[in-house]
Amino acid sequence: MNPKALWSLYLPKWGATMQVAWSNLLVYRLNFLLSAIAPLVVFLVVKLSLWYRVYEGAPSALVGGFTFSQMATYHLWVFLTSLLVFNGNATKISEDIRMGKITSYLIYPFSLWEFHGATFLARTLVQLGIAATTLTGVWAFLSGQVHFPEPHTLALGLLLTLMAAGFWFWANYLVGLIGFWMEETWTLMVMLQILAYFLSGSLIPLSFYPPWLQGLLNYTPFPAIAYLPARVLMGESAGVIQALWVLGFWNLGAALLAQLVWKKGLRLYTAAGM
Amino acid sequence: MGSRIKQYLSIYGSFFSTSFSAAMSFRGHFVLLILMDLVFYYTHLVSIDILYDHIQTIGIWDRQQLLFFASVMLAINQISMTLVSENYWIFPLSIRTGELDFSLIKPVNAVFLSFFRIIRPGSLINVCFTGPAVVYFGLQVGLSPLAWVCLPFAVVGGFLLQNAIEMFLSCAMFWMMDGTGINFIRVELQQLARWPDFVYPRLLRSSLTLVLPVLLIGSGPVRFLLDPTDGWPLVWLVGFLGLFWLLLGFFWRLGLKAYESASS
Repeated sequence: MNPKALWSLYLPKWGATMQVAWSNLLVYRLNFLLSAIAPLVVFLVVKLSLWYRVYEGAPSALVGGFTFSQMATYHLWVFLTSLLVFNGNATKISEDIRMGKITSYLIYPFSLWEFHGATFLARTLVQLGIAATTLTGVWAFLSGQVHFPEPHTLALGLLLTLMAAGFWFWANYLVGLIGFWMEETWTLMVMLQILAYFLSGSLIPLSFYPPWLQGLLNYTPFPAIAYLPARVLMGESAGVIQALWVLGFWNLGAALLAQLVWKKGLRLYTAAGM
Repeated sequence: MGSRIKQYLSIYGSFFSTSFSAAMSFRGHFVLLILMDLVFYYTHLVSIDILYDHIQTIGIWDRQQLLFFASVMLAINQISMTLVSENYWIFPLSIRTGELDFSLIKPVNAVFLSFFRIIRPGSLINVCFTGPAVVYFGLQVGLSPLAWVCLPFAVVGGFLLQNAIEMFLSCAMFWMMDGTGINFIRVELQQLARWPDFVYPRLLRSSLTLVLPVLLIGSGPVRFLLDPTDGWPLVWLVGFLGLFWLLLGFFWRLGLKAYESASS
């Protein structure tokens, strides 16, 4: 099948699913704001307050290689990249498996991963809009205090973030598929999220961590969730090429593993309620 | 009065055994719940420890003082997770589906039935982590004998205030189509309370101490324990506990008037 035919076959399905996802997101707007954005806003308030106290009286002092202004900028970028990355909804997948709702995807010409992929993409696009609005607002109010990146730096930071978002989607999807073996998977998802916050440099930049841990983390996708994109957007691009390779590897590995787990899981699927 | 307490204890015993049986039905999930809490506790304490490798103090506290504060907050969080937290997520559903009717017709306090029915036994096991952590960091900061005696009461005081505030906030669910959003606010307030009050800018600190006193949950007891000669933090805590308990009663009754019952 030529690419044009493939495009016309898949685009309408993905587009329609994304439209449904947007409608679902906006039914309970308050819940969406409170569940997806408020945690990051509160996290930003906590972090900025905490770091303000750390640098109290000496904003130009270097702590872990950062001045206060650099630390504030770092956390602003972490906030924006987190908006784009943390969009998964694994609990829905395991619930669908438990209730026998995935049966539809076995007969539809649209697979479960495509459905969740389109939903994830829809959420990411909404979050991208929120991130862009936030960035424009911050830039307008704090121009001169926050260094705005060059277009190519912005593009590189965005590429890293979107690849990290891709990894996060596959990780979420995999955790959801564990629903074939377990009743509940939300605990695994929360655990992964806690670890991601800790190992990605969301609260404390990774340069504060012991060197052995930093070296180890370079081979995992976690630094690309927050630390690396933030550093790139602040004008430091050391280690980006390696990070892109590592992320590519993890994306591919997670996608292949997800297909394998899906096939294994289907053998156990009883289609409850049929 | 005695027989009433006995009745409630007997009901609570039944809640516990039912919750325990339910938890044992899904053992994998039971173990993961314990692990999840432990991962959270560990990463929170290690984050503070890593931070202090690069600085001497944050505000007025050194490493041991902040770790003691964090361990007390984790202990409060652990008690809350065990005894109450699951109920907050079920409450909006029981309002929407009308299941709250079953609590209202029983000859027992409906607030008690709504917020204490489901217990998470898995989290109870984590007292083996939070308890020793509080004692260890308490020893590190050199708590006085009076502070050691007051420590359990201070932790329970923080737990009671946290839940009085959260139950009060949950009353807003009576007026909402889907009250889940209130639960997200609740979780975010817990995140704010997880750091000491002096960290926040003055306006935010005043609001979160004197209007919605979530910063008193941990900072109140710990300030008193570190300096038992200053009893004001505890006085504030007890005062707000009473106030929010009264507010809860008032808004609960008001909420019940707005409640439309099942199938309406």
